[in-house]
Parts: sequence; C-alpha cells; structure tokens
Amino acid sequence: MEAGEDTAAPAPGDAENLEDTQFPSEEAGDGGGVHEDPTDLGDGSLEETGSGTNDKPPSLLSSLPQSESPSCNCELWDPSASENSPTGDPESGSGGQGGDPSDEDWRSKRKHVFVLSEAGKPIYSRYGSVEALSTTMGVMTALVSFVQSAGDVIRAIYAEDHKLVFLQQGPLLLVAVSRTPQSAAQLRRELLAVHAQIVSTLTRASVARIFARKQNYDLRRLLAGSESTLDRLLDSVERDPGALLLGAVRCVPLARPLREALGALLRRCTAPGLALSVLAVGGQLVTAAQERSVLAECRLDPADLQLLLNWVSAPAFAAGEAWAPVCLPRFNPDGFFYAYVARLDAMPVCLLLLGTDPEAFHDMATCRRLVEDGMHNLGAMRTLGEAASFSNAPSANAPSYSVQAVGAPGLWHFLYKPLDIPDHHRQLPQFTSPELEAPYSREEERQRLSDLYHRLHARLHSTSRPLRLIYHVAEKETLLAWVTSKFELYTCLSPLVTKAGAILVVTKLLRWVKKEEDRLFIRYPPKYSTPPAASSASIDQASHNGLFSGP
Amino acid sequence: MRKPDGKIVLLGDMNVGKTSLLQRYMERRFADTVSTVGGAFYLKQWRSYNISIWDTAGREQFHGLGSMYCRGAAAVILTYDVNHPQSLVELEDRFLGLTDTANTDCLFAIVGNKLDLSEEGASESLEKEGHSSGSVGDGCVSPKVPKQVKPEEAMALYKKILKYKMLDEKDVPAAEQMCFETSAKTGHNVDLLFESLFDMVVPMILRQRAQGPPQTVDISCYKPPSRTKSGCCA
Repeated sequence: MEAGEDTAAPAPGDAENLEDTQFPSEEAGDGGGVHEDPTDLGDGSLEETGSGTNDKPPSLLSSLPQSESPSCNCELWDPSASENSPTGDPESGSGGQGGDPSDEDWRSKRKHVFVLSEAGKPIYSRYGSVEALSTTMGVMTALVSFVQSAGDVIRAIYAEDHKLVFLQQGPLLLVAVSRTPQSAAQLRRELLAVHAQIVSTLTRASVARIFARKQNYDLRRLLAGSESTLDRLLDSVERDPGALLLGAVRCVPLARPLREALGALLRRCTAPGLALSVLAVGGQLVTAAQERSVLAECRLDPADLQLLLNWVSAPAFAAGEAWAPVCLPRFNPDGFFYAYVARLDAMPVCLLLLGTDPEAFHDMATCRRLVEDGMHNLGAMRTLGEAASFSNAPSANAPSYSVQAVGAPGLWHFLYKPLDIPDHHRQLPQFTSPELEAPYSREEERQRLSDLYHRLHARLHSTSRPLRLIYHVAEKETLLAWVTSKFELYTCLSPLVTKAGAILVVTKLLRWVKKEEDRLFIRYPPKYSTPPAASSASIDQASHNGLFSGP
Repeated sequence: MRKPDGKIVLLGDMNVGKTSLLQRYMERRFADTVSTVGGAFYLKQWRSYNISIWDTAGREQFHGLGSMYCRGAAAVILTYDVNHPQSLVELEDRFLGLTDTANTDCLFAIVGNKLDLSEEGASESLEKEGHSSGSVGDGCVSPKVPKQVKPEEAMALYKKILKYKMLDEKDVPAAEQMCFETSAKTGHNVDLLFESLFDMVVPMILRQRAQGPPQTVDISCYKPPSRTKSGCCA
C-alpha cells in the first residue's frame, strides 16, 4: 500500500520542536520515533485566536477582576457573580448549559474542578460553561499570584466544609473545590490525573511552548472534544473509586491459561515500531505486552496504563479503526506514540497498539488481524464476550463478578490490592473489587460508598499518623480497612455484623482471594515480545551513546 | 486480508459533520456523534472494489497527521458547514495544503453539510423579509432559503483548488458535479455524494492497474535480493 513511498513524513512537529525529543528515532532521517506535538501550530494560528480579554501577565495583581475580591473563604464564587457576562466565542463552549456561578444548581455540585492558564484564561470546568466562569477563574489566578509574589506556593484552603486545592503544572493551574470527604492529597492526585489527561493529548512540551509564545492563548482550541474524556475521568472517581484511589488497574477476571495464551499471542504479533500492545474490555485490562527495545528498562506506569484504558473506552473509538497520536505522561511527557485502536470483531474487546512509526497504520491493521485470528483459535472471543455480558450494570460492558462469589454473608463490597509480588516479576499494580450491587445500585449510594472508601484511605495513609487497621461502625454499614505488607484491603460489611463476625468475613475473603488470585490478577505478567529484526539494537545504542540528535 | 483499492479522505474543520456524513452513509443513521480522535478508517465494498475511507479529526490538535491520511488518496472530500462561512475559509487555509500527498489525479469534492439547519432557521426569516435568494446552484438541489454560504462560493473554491493543483478545468469533473450540499441528519444528498465519488474513483483504480505495478512495494511478497555482505556491519 503506502509502505514504500518516500514522500516526506507528515512531520507533526517542525524541526525546532524536535530538540527536546528525548526519545530515539528509528532512522534518524525519517519521522520515526516518538514525536513532539501533533498540533503543528504556526505563529499565525496563534495570533488569530486571542480575544484580548486577558493580556496581562499572571503576576500582576491587577488581573483581579473586581475590587470586591473575596476573602479566602468558601464563598469564592459568590460575589460579583451576577454581573458575569459570557466572553469568548460561543461555538467553543465546553461545559454547555448553565454554569453561571450564581446558578443554584451549579453551586450545589459537590466538587468542581477547573483548569485555567496562568493568565487566568479558562480551559476546563467540570460543570457549567467556562465562559461564564472567567471572573471566578480570575479570582483563582489572583489567589495564586498573590501567594506567589510573597515567594510561596498556595496548596490548599480549608474553609468550613469546603476544601480548595491548587496545583500548578507548568503554565497550567488546576483547582479543585470540593465538599466531598476526600483529603487534600487525594484531590491533588485527582488534579494530577486531569493534568496527565491533558498532557496525553497535547504533550507537556507543546503546552509549554504554546504559552511561551502567546500567554493568553485559548487552549480550548486544542482540547475541544477532549472535555468528555476529562468528565468521564472525574465521574469515575465518584462511581468507581478503586483505580485512582489505589493507583492500580483492574483486570478482567480470567482463567490463567487463557490469559497467558493471550499474552503469548500479543507477544507473537508484532509490527515495525510496535512498543506496547494492550487488550482491554470495558476499560479493564485483559493483558498487555511490552516491546523490549522500546520500553526496555522502563516499567509501564499504572497511571499511564489507566489513562490508556480510560482513553480507549471513549465512544470515539466505538467503530472503525482509529489512528491517533497519544502521549504517555509518566513515560515521557514530551513525546508521543501513535496509537492504533480497534474493537475486535464488533465485540467490546478492544485492541490498542502503540508504536513509534507515524506511517504504520496498515502494519498495525495487519497485526490486528493476526491477533483476531489467534483469538478465534483460542476461543477467547466467546469467553471474553461472556465475561463482559455477565455484568448487569447498565453503564458499560464491564466484566465483573458478584460479591456473592466470595461466599461470605455480611460482606457487601470490597477493594483489594495485592502487595505481594512474586519474585522476578515486575508486577503492575492491580486491584480487584466486585460489582456494585444493592444497596449500592443507586447513584447516591455509590457516591456515599466512594466517600467512605476515600475517608478510610485518607486515614490509613495519613502522613502525620498512618494507621494499619481501622474498624469503624457507621450508620448504614460496618467498615474494616487493613493494610499489611501483603495487601491493602477495604471492606464494607453489614451494619449488624459483630467484631468477631467481621474478622471471620475478612478471613474468608482473604482465603477466597488467595484461591482466585490467578484469575483475578495478572500474577505473572508476560515477558517482552521479541523485537522484530534490526530496529531495536540501533535504537538502544543511539539512545545510550548519546549520538542521537534528532532528524 | 481485504486490501483497499482506492482511498477517500474526509477533511474539514471540527464540528462540520464529517463523521456524521460517513455514519449516515455507512450505517444509515444519524446520531449525536462524539468528537473524532485522530482518524478513523472504514472499508466500503463498491462493486468488486474495496474503497477505504478515512474519517479525520478536524481539531487542530491532530493537524499534523492530516497529510498522512491523505497520502495516496484518490479523492478528498472537503467538508464545510453551510451555516459557518469560516469553515469554508478554513478549507483553503488549513486543509488544502494537506492534500499535497494525495495522488496527482486526485479528485476533490466540496461538501456543504448541515443543510437541514439552514432550512429550519431560515424559514422564519424568509417570511419576515419576504424575499427568496433566487436561483442558486445548478447541480445542487438547494432550498430557496438564505444560507450563510452559497454554493457559488464552494464552486469558486473548487476552481481555486484546480489552480492550486495546476489542473486544467477540461481534464477534471466540472465544479457543478463536485460541489454538494448535504444534510447528514436528513440524509439529503449523502448517498449521491459518496456513490458518485465511488463511480469516479473506480475508473481511476482501473487506470492505475493498467499503468502497471504501483510505485509502492508490497512487503508481503517482496523477496530481498541475496544480501551482499558489505563491510559496514561485519
């Protein structure tokens, strides 16, 4: 097909951009390797955008929008709210309806997350339209730069039942305003995840460069369409808190021989420049294989993997085969891979192939067909399809199991993260939890459970006084959280259980997890796939001897 | 493996309805689509030929990949929104350059989508103002309502493209044939657009086959010549 043509590569980053690419390229001359910045922003495109509303440098206190600037309390968005007028172009609104800070509905939200530029330009808000919030965001910028001018950094404000957490990442400022029981540390982790999601679409270097060129650039131009991914990320914290709370990924429960066969299959099916292959169902991991030459000494960070799992479950990937650049922020925030994403056989099974070659789409598509054929031979499609359809959760085709499977009456729900790692296996942090069933089938109840888990987690991991074991009789349930060198466990039990009964239930649960651990977790992650032919050696050498200096 | 014989690429600013057009044609439905990430690839069987269609993301963020999608394309569908003049301007400013990697005899279609919106929105103003925008479009079945972008403007762009590509108007299909106004929502003109393009692409495929082996090397049946042992790797 297009393989042999030697037309110039689409050069996602211009030559100047490549200077900070730390990633080795396959052939120095061509567009291989991990690239900078897919956006290819010319100066011209930057110029035409600024609406000129906020040209002031961020350090100037004059960027305070109103003289009646509020004191640092929870009524941050109270004053001057009504005089907000939406600014900016109407077509690129992110939040959509409402969003006037005086709006009761908007104010009643438990948690707000905002992203803004240093110049105070709104970029993202979980609720409401960012245009309506420009004044509020101006206040946030003012708070940050006021503390900054004193040579300090603002981290959090505690006000009555609200926590305001600030996080500065390069030219971006992220703010969480929360009434949830989440600790500041947990909120900060959430903001970091939001930032990672933004970086994964734009790369850190490109964000920095954009704002270095034009401080009041409207980043929404580049993020348009990605807001829904951010929304889903933030919603998942309330509905299904495990992944972000424990910093681990959830695996599809699967018999070990089948999982290992799938792992072997992924390792067998390679393509030029392929770095990582992932099989997932409903945002949960089936198995993954890393290419030694590309990711040799670098363990795939669970946060990066979780980000990919979140990304590929986006509705944009529901049909066809997609080809897009994506950055793994923990691996290298300044470079990006090319991702091939396809649903296999119109099933909820999703294959993700990450590579370094911008032209490898058709090679990746061939690779997918190999994986598909291999899975048919293994009969894996049916098994995975069944796993996905078992769940009666209406939300997604997420494979899961009932808490009844444990066989411990009185146990309502749990989160379990194993910490014992078999020798010589670099294990990916994982966790398991059963489906959310009654009494946690309603949205409010799920939120309440999420709150309880966050509270327990914050107490266990408190920096000042960490705990190992918590037994807590709450109004509607009894909770037991326990961290040892072997596992981290959060259980939610019937309120009528006695202390002795609770210990019995937990013992039963631990025994069950031990028995099932080969099915619930990837205990022995697959080794590297064999590098296809030449490319690998040159990459390693080039990166190690420092000769590589970009095309 | 089904190998695509010809390639068609959809280009255009974000939110003009590229994915919706394709979805309407391929799946006969219209849904509120989500923003496309990168580019998505579809294969359509037309007669005995497989035609691949690339649906691309209009977002600036994925702009760098555009010329990759266009490489070797037999036809490019440049899409704009009839209610947003800027989206037509963007075609010339941002997207035309991406088509440099397409085939030299590449066809260009210019499609004004979201016609349904202009019909609705304009029916009221028509009554108020009491005038109709007269005779518009020869090939296009256009409603007699004011639109933000007139078909003539699209045809003017088509002629500009021919100039840009240094093509003679006599050698390529006329502007009337290549400018469409569609509605992915109602399905208006969508089949006409894709099917007339497919019909034009098929002769190109045949011509290419007649011209002999393609310039690209088929890796799957490529046997490397016996390797000469040169000193550099030894």
